[in-house]
Amino acid sequence: MIAFTDIVGMDLAKQALMLLAVDPSLGGVVIPSTVGSGKSTLARAFSDILPEGTPFVELPLNVTEDRLIGGVDLEATLASGQRIVQHGVLSKAHKGVLYVDSLSLLDSSAVSHIMDAMSRGVVLVEREGLSEVHPADFMLVGTYDPSDGEVRMGLLDRIGIIVPFTPVNDYRARKLIVSLVMGKRNEEDTQDELRMLRGIIGAAREQLPHVSITNEQIKGLIQTAISLGVEGNRVDIFAIRAAIANAALGQRTEVDDEDMKLAVKLVLVPRATRMPEREQEQEEMPQEEPPPPDEQPQDETEDENAPPDETDSDADEEQEETPDMIEELMMDAIETELPDNILNISLASKKKAKSGSRGEALNNKRGRFVRSQPGEIKSGKVALIPTLISAAPWQAARKAEKAKKGIKTGALVISTDDVKIKRFRDKSGTLFIFMVDASGSMALNRMRQAKGAVASLLQNAYVHRDQVSLISFRGKHAQVLLPPSQSVDRAKRELDVLPTGGGTPLASALLTGWETAKQARTKGITQIMFVMITDGRGNIPLGAAYDPNATKAPKEELEKEIEALALSIQADGIASIVVDTQMNYLSRGEAPKLAQKLGGRYFYLPNAKAEQIVEAALS
Amino acid sequence: MTQTAKAAKKTTSAKAKATTEAKATAEEQAVTSARKPAPKQKSALAFPFTSIVGQEEMKLSLILNIIDPRIGGVLVMGHRGTGKSTTVRALAEVLPFIDRVKGDIYNRTVEQYIEMESGVKGAPVLKTSEVKTEKIPVPVIDLPLGATEDRVCGTIDIEKALTSGVKAFEPGLLAQANRGFLYIDEVNLLDDHLVDVLLDVAASGKNVVEREGISIRHPARFVLVGSGNPEEGELRPQLLDRFGLHARIITINDVEKRVQIVKLRREYDEDPEAFLKKVTRQQQKLQKEIVTAQKLLPQVAMDDAVLTDIARLCMNLGIDGHRGELTITRTAHAYAALQGDKEVTMEHVRKIAGLCLRHRLRKDPLETVDAGEKIDRELAKVLGEAEAAA
Repeated sequence: MIAFTDIVGMDLAKQALMLLAVDPSLGGVVIPSTVGSGKSTLARAFSDILPEGTPFVELPLNVTEDRLIGGVDLEATLASGQRIVQHGVLSKAHKGVLYVDSLSLLDSSAVSHIMDAMSRGVVLVEREGLSEVHPADFMLVGTYDPSDGEVRMGLLDRIGIIVPFTPVNDYRARKLIVSLVMGKRNEEDTQDELRMLRGIIGAAREQLPHVSITNEQIKGLIQTAISLGVEGNRVDIFAIRAAIANAALGQRTEVDDEDMKLAVKLVLVPRATRMPEREQEQEEMPQEEPPPPDEQPQDETEDENAPPDETDSDADEEQEETPDMIEELMMDAIETELPDNILNISLASKKKAKSGSRGEALNNKRGRFVRSQPGEIKSGKVALIPTLISAAPWQAARKAEKAKKGIKTGALVISTDDVKIKRFRDKSGTLFIFMVDASGSMALNRMRQAKGAVASLLQNAYVHRDQVSLISFRGKHAQVLLPPSQSVDRAKRELDVLPTGGGTPLASALLTGWETAKQARTKGITQIMFVMITDGRGNIPLGAAYDPNATKAPKEELEKEIEALALSIQADGIASIVVDTQMNYLSRGEAPKLAQKLGGRYFYLPNAKAEQIVEAALS
Repeated sequence: MTQTAKAAKKTTSAKAKATTEAKATAEEQAVTSARKPAPKQKSALAFPFTSIVGQEEMKLSLILNIIDPRIGGVLVMGHRGTGKSTTVRALAEVLPFIDRVKGDIYNRTVEQYIEMESGVKGAPVLKTSEVKTEKIPVPVIDLPLGATEDRVCGTIDIEKALTSGVKAFEPGLLAQANRGFLYIDEVNLLDDHLVDVLLDVAASGKNVVEREGISIRHPARFVLVGSGNPEEGELRPQLLDRFGLHARIITINDVEKRVQIVKLRREYDEDPEAFLKKVTRQQQKLQKEIVTAQKLLPQVAMDDAVLTDIARLCMNLGIDGHRGELTITRTAHAYAALQGDKEVTMEHVRKIAGLCLRHRLRKDPLETVDAGEKIDRELAKVLGEAEAAA
């Protein structure tokens, strides 16, 4: 076991955990970091600096709803014949730490339950004949690798501290981490250091109520939150608490500039949706420094998922306005050339478009509990009430029989024949991954269509619990604009600002789409469909993202790359359609070929309407 | 203890007793549930309603629903961390009282009780005077996302079934919520099958249970309150349509207001009881205003001309069905009553039209104009026409 003080580097993460140890009402700490940086080691060592006996519960990613929330303890209930309640993981972490490794991979329903418990401080158990309230006031410590996907914003909103993401690249630091893992440290030193640290934190806890913060300082933090475009008002409280906790760690009675800066760094900056302009910020709050320049790399990674807010500045908006207007005029011009066969296509797909049963499958593990049926205990979740009901009539007879044989019985005699297993109906829906060619001159047209199609698909598809993801490709590589999501609002926002033009990295798009699909599968989405809006003419190879010379690769190699990817994607069971919106006098048949390699269908829809793309995807 | 807690505790007390006994057995056997069962902790204090700064739209929507529950509930959608659930949970403390049959798990009125119980299956015929009543605060029932269908609708009481062979009904959350509020936080994440159940019950006002060999129906008429963040997922259109009002909530960007929020919150966190004591008077004042408005409501009248304008507004906005008009009419009445007015005018309508119609406009994925603006624009047109005609 590696102790908290043994871990080298990650000073900010350590500081964050110490603040949380001082003031658990900060809610928690999230540490994004790459594989092998020691983040989970650090998180597990957190209990070293907490008061003795503080619960530390690690949440397994595959946790079931029963185990998370709590419910009837089956074994004990069957043994005693009376309802025995078992607390869930959330409640077991009460007054302690709930630790989740790979937080971004956690099932979305589990995330919802954690959010719910954090907002109430209790778990409401309304399950299987049980109605109870279990205390669940815990600190959430989460670590994750941002390349696995992002953590849901709703959950982050309830967690006070988000450690800025810094990839560990320093060889020497890594070596030190490794040597520590091998156990080269003196155990006694470690114990002394830990004792000291616990002492500091204990003293800080006592100091906490004596720390004061001025009105000006509160105002400064709030103003910073506003100029960073942080959503919600809850962050204000977190920022104030973080500043106060840091002052308490320094045994001070007043919050100083350093405390304020740390609070901005750990609470506000990681939630920024825009970077403030410097002059404006200095005007508004002269006593507060703008975030230090070393924050920049981290913000860029964040920006990949959150393009700059539209409200950035009027000047910017005007600049973007102009090409949009030209685009609008161009669209009108093309619209007059609309071929007649479009209507036929959309009608044909309408007939085929299925609804209702899509995405539903009966199974023993997840989804909606529909009915129970006889089965073996091991093969699924036991439906308690139906089991007991089928056992009830035989109790007298069975007890008498056992008594005859001299066997002592519990309150209930249940035989394997009585056991009923739950059957679930899974309605996980389909993930539509839109891959939009943002290269070349027609890019704006395609983006517009994609935007409409995404929004329309989302608005028509709640019943199926469908999700969409959006990937754009241009220049050197593809980019995930919208990770799998159900939100129309979010999709619209992410699509609003998007650069276009440049080369066509089709291979990169296929790879990025495939990766997104794989991630979605780990979260229980099994049906995946690629909707590619492109003319199919890739001209940038995969290597271009790393090696500028790679763009000179011969055409045959490029084609091979795309073919290999397309065939693998088909083999992986991903359905595809390719929508070609280019005027056909420009086309040389690349798009149909791509569709064929993907084993998908090809649609030629120049200037397609959003609904037509949706119908094509649903057919 | 909150009012929710009191109401909930009554209905579960019998069951709680049984469970306690069971727990004792479990501890003796030291089976898997090693942790000591926690006491019923429903007594968490709530931040007071009248100390919530800003978010007037949401507060008004909730108050109007107390004045007239037939408005059909409210959906609160908006940014994270803006006090949605805090506000709804604070509601319990300003709610008025209702009369119910003493100890009735369904919170029935005497009339409902007699209609359902008197002279049924050999039960004695009851007279109104024979039924005892009690005053309870309007219940606010929290429906957690992880609730199972049997707890929502109610099911057979398994312990009774096993120990005494009696098929008894154990009521669920819908029974507890009758004549009160049913609150679902993160309503857009609610499981589809629970949404189906809710739609069914909300439409009929009755909960029908046909399962595990029991057949029962009981009144379940409640004000549905849902909240959520649209970024987490969309709401099913059928459910959206069920909500009378749709309040939007956004991040407050006024520094002074935010300082005020932070100050109140910090003061509350430091000593909740002292804080609540300090605001008792303003809480009582609001409660009184609501009760006064409730009493005034039957006397509030609406001119046919106003009704015509409302109909024209809904028509111009292309709203399907009549639920839009109906909701505006009821909400405008309640709003007039809250203002102490006995006559509904278009000025009342102007204040609440956005709340009533925002979620009923036809959706266009590429629409950039805000629904609220569109309503205001049409409203101005209708009012212009009305003035010209007069």
